[in-house]
Amino acid sequence: MDSLSFFAMSWLSPELLGLTALGTFLGIYVGAIPGLSVTMAVSILISFTFSWDVNNALCLMIGVYMGGVYGGSRTAILLNIPGAPSAIATALDGFPLARKGLAGEAIGLSTVMSVIGGFVGIIVLALAAPSISEFAITFQPRDYMMLGILGILLVGSLSGNSLAKGIFAGALGLLIGTVGLDPMTVEERFTFGVIELWDGINPIAVMIGMFGISEALHQLHHMDKAVIKQKISRIIPKWVDIKKYLPLSLQTSFIGVIIGALPGTGGDIAALMAYDHAKRVTKNPDVPFGEGAKEGLIAPESANNAAVGGAYIPMLTLGIPGDAVTAVFIGALFIHGLNPGPLLMIEQPHMFWFTVGNLALANIFVLIFGLTGIRMFSKIVECPKGILIPLIFLLSIVGAYAINNAITDIWWMLAFGVFGYFMRLYGFPVGPVILGVILSSLTDENWRRAILTERGSVTDLFIHLFSSPLSTVLFMSIALILFTQTPVWSKWMKPKLARRFSN
Amino acid sequence: MSSQFSSQKTRKPGERTFGLLLVLGSVYLFFQAYSIAGFSELSSAGAFPMATSAAMVLASCIIFVNTLKLPAAKGERFAHNCLPPMVAIIMALILVYAVILESLGFILSSFLFLFITIQFLYRRSVLTTLSITLLSLMVVYVIFRLAFQVVLPEGIVPEREIIASIKALWR
Amino acid sequence: MKKITFALLATLSLTSTASFADYPNKDIQGVIMWGAGGSTDNVMRSIAPHVEKELGTDLILTNKSGGVGAISMKYVDKKKADGYTLLMGAENPQMHRVLGLSNIDYSDMIPISLLARGTPMIMARSDAPYDTMQEFIDYAKANPNKVKLGSTGKGGLTSIVLAMLASQVELDYISIPYKGDGPALTALQGGAIDVMPAVLGAAIEHIKAGRMKALSMVDVERNPLLPNVAPITDTLPGMKAYLPWGPFFGVFVKKDTPDDAVKTLQAAFKKAAVNPDFVSLMEKSGYTIMNTSGAEASSFLETYRSTSSWLVYDAGFSKFSPEKFSISKP
Repeated sequence: MDSLSFFAMSWLSPELLGLTALGTFLGIYVGAIPGLSVTMAVSILISFTFSWDVNNALCLMIGVYMGGVYGGSRTAILLNIPGAPSAIATALDGFPLARKGLAGEAIGLSTVMSVIGGFVGIIVLALAAPSISEFAITFQPRDYMMLGILGILLVGSLSGNSLAKGIFAGALGLLIGTVGLDPMTVEERFTFGVIELWDGINPIAVMIGMFGISEALHQLHHMDKAVIKQKISRIIPKWVDIKKYLPLSLQTSFIGVIIGALPGTGGDIAALMAYDHAKRVTKNPDVPFGEGAKEGLIAPESANNAAVGGAYIPMLTLGIPGDAVTAVFIGALFIHGLNPGPLLMIEQPHMFWFTVGNLALANIFVLIFGLTGIRMFSKIVECPKGILIPLIFLLSIVGAYAINNAITDIWWMLAFGVFGYFMRLYGFPVGPVILGVILSSLTDENWRRAILTERGSVTDLFIHLFSSPLSTVLFMSIALILFTQTPVWSKWMKPKLARRFSN
Repeated sequence: MSSQFSSQKTRKPGERTFGLLLVLGSVYLFFQAYSIAGFSELSSAGAFPMATSAAMVLASCIIFVNTLKLPAAKGERFAHNCLPPMVAIIMALILVYAVILESLGFILSSFLFLFITIQFLYRRSVLTTLSITLLSLMVVYVIFRLAFQVVLPEGIVPEREIIASIKALWR
Repeated sequence: MKKITFALLATLSLTSTASFADYPNKDIQGVIMWGAGGSTDNVMRSIAPHVEKELGTDLILTNKSGGVGAISMKYVDKKKADGYTLLMGAENPQMHRVLGLSNIDYSDMIPISLLARGTPMIMARSDAPYDTMQEFIDYAKANPNKVKLGSTGKGGLTSIVLAMLASQVELDYISIPYKGDGPALTALQGGAIDVMPAVLGAAIEHIKAGRMKALSMVDVERNPLLPNVAPITDTLPGMKAYLPWGPFFGVFVKKDTPDDAVKTLQAAFKKAAVNPDFVSLMEKSGYTIMNTSGAEASSFLETYRSTSSWLVYDAGFSKFSPEKFSISKP
């Protein structure tokens, strides 16, 4: 009974309700602007709400978190500039939809699916948090390594029509991710003695350059073309559509929750894995992937919002952050004098159900604000290119600067913008570059930890892959994907099997 | 993606050069990776960079060879289809903007950049451009500097003093 | 409108002859050395509101992480020495010289306040077959190259504690590096590593919940928060030479900042650091409040630099000898 009253706390108090609404509203816009990250917004709010009651402060911050994760899809769909790394996969099929004048429909669909994903995350958090967090911390370095490899294999599905170009782009991304002082040994890698390179190249700077700048430069080719009129007659998706895509949305939501709950991975990886999953299970999409398939929009959007609930799982039960934002939330609880940690659920019993209730509330506000602002938002695309493009450049530059208050990030963003321009020109996919940057340290560090644990013996490492069910499952999935997606399968096995079945 | 539907039958101007540059760059990066730790240990800081740069070398070679096999696209010129003057000019303008950003400060440099590019791309009266520029600059400044407290480069404009004195009027 | 224009003109003319009589007359930027959500970030964000109240101006906090703290050092060093840019950092720069990371450390800055200091401990996973420091040493000696020890890279807290240990007792273990103590403590709970040195504040909640156990306090006396954990000097009396030692959090300004600005800031931080909210927050999380400035702070910084620099030099992973920078032996 207690838990229900804690759950409803933020629903019944007008003050908390209002703050959650405000937070969600702000979050959507924070999320939509590349360079303004949810992590940053929440840490600013910590100082801002310092003297407030902790519940009020949390309502505002949770709203920003929930809204922000969703908001990243806005600019991804409308301008092909993901507001955050977790919306990269959204851009792949969302932007082609906007180019067909279907931005309104795309945003509407992504909103509904985000909310469904959000609820899946919250429900799993509410029902299974303790057991999932115990499961999540049993992930060994070798398991994280294999998770990284699984992610890298997505290059296959992001490559477009040339696998070699996709592999090149992915490897480049992985390499970019290693630049800087090696976090494990403090050795310099690709720094050329420049101190500004020690902290590496920020993934968001690469993302803004590769997507934002290079896209805007390409738009300059078509200055004379009239802007695409957006059909905004239909915003709320058709019931048939929701029903049709619900199974996919649920599946990818579960991917999102688990990836989100792992302390080493977050919504960005979840969204890309979900995209890959969608591509694999959708046998005959109405529209091919990469050209505006709704499946490619739904999967990442469900997953990244489900990852919010997932990230809270280890945080609320063990005091271990599930992603960067929950790490800041732990700081907020600390500053407000609560002791975030494994005892939080015992010492502050209200905190768990209060958070669950508040997340659910914020998720409802995402639905409300998400669906109401579409008309205005879609107009952005109809803004004359002569104004829109300079503004994209300005926002990209300010956004890159805002990541870490550094001019260097602007330089990187510009360099990758120009490089990305030529990559696109010559038919290279840019998605794998970002994928590589995101997965680089996860794979590199855990590979090294895994091999160190085995005292440098590759054979021991291989044997240990079968020592736990988890490692075995991960290894099998890697083997399966490699097998089914390489020429061995498509050129040799598949026709054979097909023949046998047709006989 | 904007260029994905072009299933490659022909080679674009400059594509060979780009492919060659990729090969050379990859080889250079491979040597850089090698110089981190050599072939010492599988757990060394250089192992992963070496693996990735080796993949880059391999992939870029395949791409380059494939490009060489393609016939050149007819009637396309680099300066017209690949890097039209418009794109080159804008690239240069962004570069100048990034250079002067720190010394002139955010407000002045962004004003100049926005004004020039909008005037160049939108081609309306100076007054229209001016008002669009000022309006958007104000919105960006309020969001980033005032709401999110991103301390944008101040340059030669004494922003903090101005903010402080405006605040003082309310005290 | 007229009033605003006038004010603008007035300030514009003022800035050229910037007088410090009324410091602070505008917002102050606080540059935090580490990222959002880290311990440095938490400490600085919890003292900032109290300082703002004392100074009567806004303290804009920006995170500028990178280069083990060297990037924020360099940034503040490039700014004007006018007291409007504060460096809010941790202990790391004190070893930058010998590690070859940078040629600026806190001896090139003026300490405004050393806020608090943490106590390192040796942690073990809860089902490890040893409960005390002695048992751990015996176990590690009986099983060479078996114990998996978490670390956080050269120059980090764990590497220094391990260097201290190595100077007293010879142990063979597998070292597995992590990005920071957060991920490493998570790995400790998942059994990926067996033992790991960590700061008390990061581990205390997990110890209380029984998710990991404390083998030893790397200090000369017991800590009131965990009275059952013996100090390491009980087992290894030779450690006394280095202790007490621990990471610290401090606020600094660039050298040559005008005296009255420094004095104003020092007074403000001194007052803020005795605010009961801040004090209870620090104590609850296992930090020892220092609240020192001036000569006392400088001598603490110097001791820290010499102990740590010589330790890493003797352990063999420094790039340069401390002698090169005339850092005296402890």
